[in-house]
Amino acid sequence: MKAFRTLGLVLLAAVMTLTAMAQSAGELRFCLRSEPRTFDPLLVSDEASDTVRYLTGGVLVRINRQTQTLEPELASSWKVSKDSRSISFALRDRIFYSDGSPFTADDVAATVKRMMAPETHSPMADAFGAGGEKTDIKVLSPTRVTITFAAPIAGLDRLFDEVAIVSSRSPRKEMAALGPYYVADHKAGSYVYLRRNPNYWKKDSSGQAMPYIEAIRLDIQANRDIELLRMQRGEIHLINSLDAEYFDRLKSINPSLVYDAGPSLDSEQMWFNQVPNAPVAAYKLKWFRSSNFRHAVSMAINRADLARIVFGSHAQPAIGPVSPANKFWFNRKLRPTQYDTGVALRQLQQDGFRLNGGVLRDREGHAVEFSVITNAGNKYRERMATMIQQDLGKIGIRLNIVTLDFPSLIERIAEKFNYEAALLGTVNAGLDPNEQMNMWLSSGENHQWNPRQKSPETTWEAEIDRAMKAQSQLSNPMKRKVYFDRVQEIVVREAPFIYLVNRNALSAISTSIRGAAPVAMRPQAYWNIERMSLTDGKKVH
Amino acid sequence: METTTPLLAVDVSARYADGHDVLRRVRVTVERGEILGLVGQSGSGKSTLALAILGLLTAKSGKIAGSVQLMGRELMGLRPREMRELRGREIALVLQSPLSALNPALTIGAQLREAWMAHDPEKQHWLKQAREGLRSVSLPDTDDFLARRPSQISVGQGQRVLIAMATMHRPALLIADEPTSALDMITQAEILELFAKLNQAYGMAILYISHDLASVSTICHRIAILHDGEIVESGKTEELFRAARHPYTQQLLSSCPHILAEPPKEEDMDENLWPTAPAGVLQGALHSHTYHDCGR
Amino acid sequence: MKLLRKLAWIILLTVAALSAMASVLSTSGYATQFREETSAAPSRQHWLGTDELGRDRFARLLYGTRISLGLAPVAALLATALAAAIGGGAGYLGGRWQRGMTVMIDLFLCLPWLFLLVIARAMLPLNVSPMVSVLVTFGLLGALGWAGPARVVAASVAALRDSECVLQARAVGTTEWRILLRHIFPRLLPILSAQFLILVPVFVLSEANLGMLGLGVAEPLPSWGSLLREMESLYGLTSAPWRLVPLGLLMLVVNSLQLVMGDEETSA
Repeated sequence: MKAFRTLGLVLLAAVMTLTAMAQSAGELRFCLRSEPRTFDPLLVSDEASDTVRYLTGGVLVRINRQTQTLEPELASSWKVSKDSRSISFALRDRIFYSDGSPFTADDVAATVKRMMAPETHSPMADAFGAGGEKTDIKVLSPTRVTITFAAPIAGLDRLFDEVAIVSSRSPRKEMAALGPYYVADHKAGSYVYLRRNPNYWKKDSSGQAMPYIEAIRLDIQANRDIELLRMQRGEIHLINSLDAEYFDRLKSINPSLVYDAGPSLDSEQMWFNQVPNAPVAAYKLKWFRSSNFRHAVSMAINRADLARIVFGSHAQPAIGPVSPANKFWFNRKLRPTQYDTGVALRQLQQDGFRLNGGVLRDREGHAVEFSVITNAGNKYRERMATMIQQDLGKIGIRLNIVTLDFPSLIERIAEKFNYEAALLGTVNAGLDPNEQMNMWLSSGENHQWNPRQKSPETTWEAEIDRAMKAQSQLSNPMKRKVYFDRVQEIVVREAPFIYLVNRNALSAISTSIRGAAPVAMRPQAYWNIERMSLTDGKKVH
Repeated sequence: METTTPLLAVDVSARYADGHDVLRRVRVTVERGEILGLVGQSGSGKSTLALAILGLLTAKSGKIAGSVQLMGRELMGLRPREMRELRGREIALVLQSPLSALNPALTIGAQLREAWMAHDPEKQHWLKQAREGLRSVSLPDTDDFLARRPSQISVGQGQRVLIAMATMHRPALLIADEPTSALDMITQAEILELFAKLNQAYGMAILYISHDLASVSTICHRIAILHDGEIVESGKTEELFRAARHPYTQQLLSSCPHILAEPPKEEDMDENLWPTAPAGVLQGALHSHTYHDCGR
Repeated sequence: MKLLRKLAWIILLTVAALSAMASVLSTSGYATQFREETSAAPSRQHWLGTDELGRDRFARLLYGTRISLGLAPVAALLATALAAAIGGGAGYLGGRWQRGMTVMIDLFLCLPWLFLLVIARAMLPLNVSPMVSVLVTFGLLGALGWAGPARVVAASVAALRDSECVLQARAVGTTEWRILLRHIFPRLLPILSAQFLILVPVFVLSEANLGMLGLGVAEPLPSWGSLLREMESLYGLTSAPWRLVPLGLLMLVVNSLQLVMGDEETSA
């Protein structure tokens, strides 16, 4: 009798748990740091809009943020042609938008057509190459579509990770969602309210419909201190990206809230101005254009200290242009640049530099002194510069730190070239080297140390140009990687960019969230939103 | 010829910026060595006339027209610099209240020094002159006194300092604008005596401006009555008292019933000025305290 | 009151002496980074602990005091002198001049100064030593801080210009120039010294704000501004209260200055 009752209770509890799960309850809350500029997925250029697109948009293929491999989504399979110009998708059947409109190959065709149309001014069109009119879209059946672009595109399939398919039939246009959520309400300057898409196609292995969380409230909150306070109070469930100081602050209050997912894809780097006719003293340009000088400076910087002190160990000494977090493309043969002032000095001596009475002088007797500019108000960069100042002081180099507001900084490094060295960071949203074409090609706009060259000025820049072009014309990733590994080796050897650290991907996640698995790639904390659930729909912790 | 030219001959009209006429063709002459009393109520334009003579009426305070002649020389239209050189040397001014006319931030010595050096840039002269000036107004000429600030001396002493400053350069004409009305009656008497003495000793002509007919009558040779921007009556002191014609003068006279039977004569002004003055004069002076503000 | 004033003098002299002897008193330089002891609590080695980069806070406070206490008053003096000259001139000339200057001052105060300073910094050469950057910063503060005080000065001068003692001075034939210099200027001293005293802490704080824009004292040189900037987050303070020492010292010095200067005035 007693045993029977116990069994009954256990059964009851099990049933209740099941129903609770089946109800997929709860409201997840977190903050957007600005008002989303657009809800049109083809026009996204800011972080807030990107968040909304990630949560509401349905894509054909998706990069798994954890494995960094491409997975089928609305397309059950796809195939890229040998010449990397066209791609064919086989679409899933019987899929509907949040408003009930059916999803077919026509929607894919319409979306790609609009994205490539010059009058749309879609920021994504560039990645697919110019010549929108030449894009050829063939709808073979409601579930089959082939798109042919004007020119070969390396890594073509991965680019579709960002292309949310907009309905061509729905009267609600881009507000009809194919993704796990749809925009139910929006109050400008205050919040964006997302509701679970009842027609979302995905089901988990037990057959339950995803996503599990009923709604997401995105509060627009620019102030990070307030965001942190609300996290502490349990008013929000997650902070997607934290900086080191906030991370440690939150950790000291509640260590179970913070996640350090290891190095991110982003890097911090310093570089010298190598523009030949820059308004910089000729003898200094001579230093900056010497790879011995640049490499010696690189070796004289104690990267381990930068990572440990400036970022409280929430960063890793950078090895090269690609973060180790980029699992496929990182060149594993590269070794970290050793910190060795002795070797650095010997390398400088090869160029005729002499250390005398604590002052390094070049062959002509000029004391080695230069300025580094960085953006004002970024205390991590200011502190890195101050530490580099002391490091370089040890080999007799005097470094002057100048912090500038962002517009005048950009004007100096991109237009007037009126600077000596700069310290900034690179934010990498994607993984593919093709996204960095503009940075590595000597003709590129973002070839910061000496942009827009008519023809490569050095043999190593010429070699980078060749390797980057060669890899972009191949479709086999392994073959492409051979070329890109070479690029990474050259960059580390020639040190046009002196890579300092890769900041860690830091986030805060409430203990009431189940299934969270923060990663290095954006969006770090909610990339697997459809698998996340809440143990308590109301209060956090 | 010289004797026929008066020391000062004024014939001016003045109008405030708001269009109100302050002075309407006011004609006043002061002879050499003479004390002329200019009597009028507050608001009658007395101070405006004083400032007009000194060329200190600014554009802000109004417009002035007419003529001001000093020893036959026309002062109206002189350049500011020429006018400045006249001030303090030819014509000097003593204001009513030493409390506000002396600069509280400067020592007595410094103020005397400024007054002297305005017309004599030689630095070594001033101290001797300052001491002499203090002696001439019966003040101590000690270093201690020179080092005092206006807040550290009495009001009577302050008025004497003002007089010393004004008379350092022995001006031909001293304009005294209500110089005694801020003083108690004993000090008033002493200051009046001092004016008479300076007039005697240096032959300095004085234009003595006051609202108080009684006190004026004790030292002035002639009196002019200013009423509502016009000179309504003028004449020798005794004649005016004997036979005032204008109703306003009569009204003034009736307000101080114990009027001198005999106005002072030049000979006895020296020492027995006050001893001969009847009590009524003092009383009249006392009454004046209730309305001594002359519109500044 | 007298005791308080003595105390203020003692504080000021002690602070001045301490900062003058910074190199003797502090065991380490203001820039040396003890990288194994970052953000340390006070110890025998580091009396006020170390900052985020492991630099001795005590040394930074002493050197920073030397810079800020030395230069903020110089900048304040420059600003006050400009205010006296511009405000005094306009107030004395009066009329159209004063109205013109009031409009000018209002315009000047309306200008987006931070924005203009940013532009000014962007135009300065990059390779200036930290010491030069300090001088430029305080020089700019001094050159731009005159407008507020000038308005006060203009009003006082306008009142003094019409006062009886100035009339009396004119009546003895004093030149306008001497009147300004000998009669009006001495009476402005209390106003000017009050403005000066207001400006000193304002400039110390402005320097801190400019630092945020990259216009302040360049690393590694310390200043009160950069020390105060560390107090941005309340969080850091509760866990490390010794960081409040620079703020305490600043308040102590400013109050002492006010006490000492205020007393000079009344005795004058």
